[in-house]
Amino acid sequence: MQPDLTSYLLVGAVLFVCGVVCMATKRNGIGVLMGVELVLNGANVNFVAFSKYTALGLDGQVFSLFVIVLAAAEAAVALAIALNFYNNHLTIDVDRANKLKG
Amino acid sequence: MFSDLLNKLNSDTTGSLQHHFGAELWLSVTIVVMLLFRLLSLDRFVPTFIVALVGAAAAGWAAFGQFSEIVAADGVAPLTFFGDMLRHDLFSVFFRIFLALFLILTIALTVLTGIPDNEDAPDFYSLLLGATIGMMIMASANNLLMLFLGVEMASVPSYAMVGFLKGRKPSSEAALKYVVYGAGAAGVMLYGISLVAGVLGTGDMSLMAERLSIVAESGSAGFGDPEVRTVALGVMLVMVGLAFKLSLVPFHFWCPDAFEGASAEVAGFLSVASKAGAFALLVRFCIGLSGVPATAELMTAFGIGLGAIACVTATFGNLAAYTQRNIKRLLAYSTIAHAGYMLMAVAALLVMINSGSAKALTHDINACIGGLLYYLAVYLFMNLGAFAVVALVRNYTFNEDVDSFKGLIGQSPALCITMLVCLFSLIGVPPFGGWVGKFMIFASVYKAAQLHWAMYVVLAVGGLNTVFSVFYYLRIIRAMVLEERPADAPSVKLPSMEGYYVCVLAGMVLLLGLAPGLVNGLTAIASKAGDSVMAVIGR
Repeated sequence: MQPDLTSYLLVGAVLFVCGVVCMATKRNGIGVLMGVELVLNGANVNFVAFSKYTALGLDGQVFSLFVIVLAAAEAAVALAIALNFYNNHLTIDVDRANKLKG
Repeated sequence: MFSDLLNKLNSDTTGSLQHHFGAELWLSVTIVVMLLFRLLSLDRFVPTFIVALVGAAAAGWAAFGQFSEIVAADGVAPLTFFGDMLRHDLFSVFFRIFLALFLILTIALTVLTGIPDNEDAPDFYSLLLGATIGMMIMASANNLLMLFLGVEMASVPSYAMVGFLKGRKPSSEAALKYVVYGAGAAGVMLYGISLVAGVLGTGDMSLMAERLSIVAESGSAGFGDPEVRTVALGVMLVMVGLAFKLSLVPFHFWCPDAFEGASAEVAGFLSVASKAGAFALLVRFCIGLSGVPATAELMTAFGIGLGAIACVTATFGNLAAYTQRNIKRLLAYSTIAHAGYMLMAVAALLVMINSGSAKALTHDINACIGGLLYYLAVYLFMNLGAFAVVALVRNYTFNEDVDSFKGLIGQSPALCITMLVCLFSLIGVPPFGGWVGKFMIFASVYKAAQLHWAMYVVLAVGGLNTVFSVFYYLRIIRAMVLEERPADAPSVKLPSMEGYYVCVLAGMVLLLGLAPGLVNGLTAIASKAGDSVMAVIGR
């Protein structure tokens, strides 16, 4: 049986929700960043599915290519910042980032 | 056939590169030159900030060339380039000049305050220029892909700049919070883009409204239609990303933390440039969804929703600023409040262009976008002025609390008077520039209120907020002017170059409120820019 658009969108939605839950519940900084990657890839699944089944056409695949590149760039910066945080605090527990408030 | 395609691509790219993409290209070249200079150790002979300043000036000059070209050929049709990815009109040119000017002023400030040092300068200025390119792309985006790329190009260097003072605990904490929230918001926005682009079958923002009316089966886009519901969900998710960039409630929480942890120069850059780019993008996105009868009702509701968010944002920002002791944190909440004021203009814009009488309101609609641009222009000088004074005083007192400003008037009148001018302008007291901008925005909201009663509420909340905001700004003023400087407080020297720099900023804030020629000229240009961005709708 050939899967239809809805099944792909379902996979994308599940990835998205997993990512959001992961971002919201993980206390480890790296874990939060992994949640972000899940969200981005959920969107990518959507883009590729839409490019196959709707008028979006090849644009959708171009979207996802750009997103993959950007996700890599963002992950590099985010990991550098997480490393810097670790050097200063000796932990990457995001709950320990509580000095700035008010 | 393939060679035709290549030839067309080649001519499109090379032609557009020089004419429409000159400013961004200059900034890109400058980044490469700065990095090469350090590689070849040339930065010992030519300080990096000079390269950065020349690059920023060249970008400004290129943008000004585009500006005079458009003004000379009055009524030139706005065009798209790079395969409809970017849009070239007076609106985008206005933002290019705005951002280039702001870049020059920020680089000058960093030279005066000595952040970054010589070793780090190429990195810092590369990040600064890279973020500015991203904001320029945000201002000229014509495609949902460019919307996302622009936001990310502006955000990713900003994360690194917030954490630029590597050894400081608050700085690294601020950067971590900013990057975690920022990446999350960007991801959510991308998912929204995937829904919008997928259902509408196009990434082109200028076609969104038209496609939506085709997709909606009943002829009028309502929530009964599953496709329309999906698009509405997508638009909401896109708004999460934009609201994060604009620091609107409830996506504002990063702003005070990031500003407190970052150096005052970076905070000033984020509070002005990144807001300006995001507002340009928001205007383009909203206009792309409007202008078709089928979407009118939906978009009016959207506009009123934005008005409600604007009210909450302005009120929250002003109330939360009361209890702040750290002056950067206080200014961060003031930034949030001002984003609220500016969002009121966007709400008024949406209500007006989606009313039945949009054609008759052409002048008011242009004045509405013009008011937003004018406010941004004044905001550039007044907010940068306030952050510049904070940065300069910090260099003498090593402290950023409101208390460290006590008795500043006796120490350094130039800094104190600049701060007074900027704060009074932020409050919106005549005759300063902030008053003119605020008046224009409130006038537009009043016009929109004729069409929908809810905008009267927005107008009332906006007026009330101006009163709320007086008190916390006055606290800084009281500390500076009325209170005695503690005997053990480090003295602030009478500055020379710094004095001239801040006086220029204060002078511009005054001129934008007092000089009728400048006010009228800028208003006319801003309205024309509004007219050019409205060309998408083709009224």
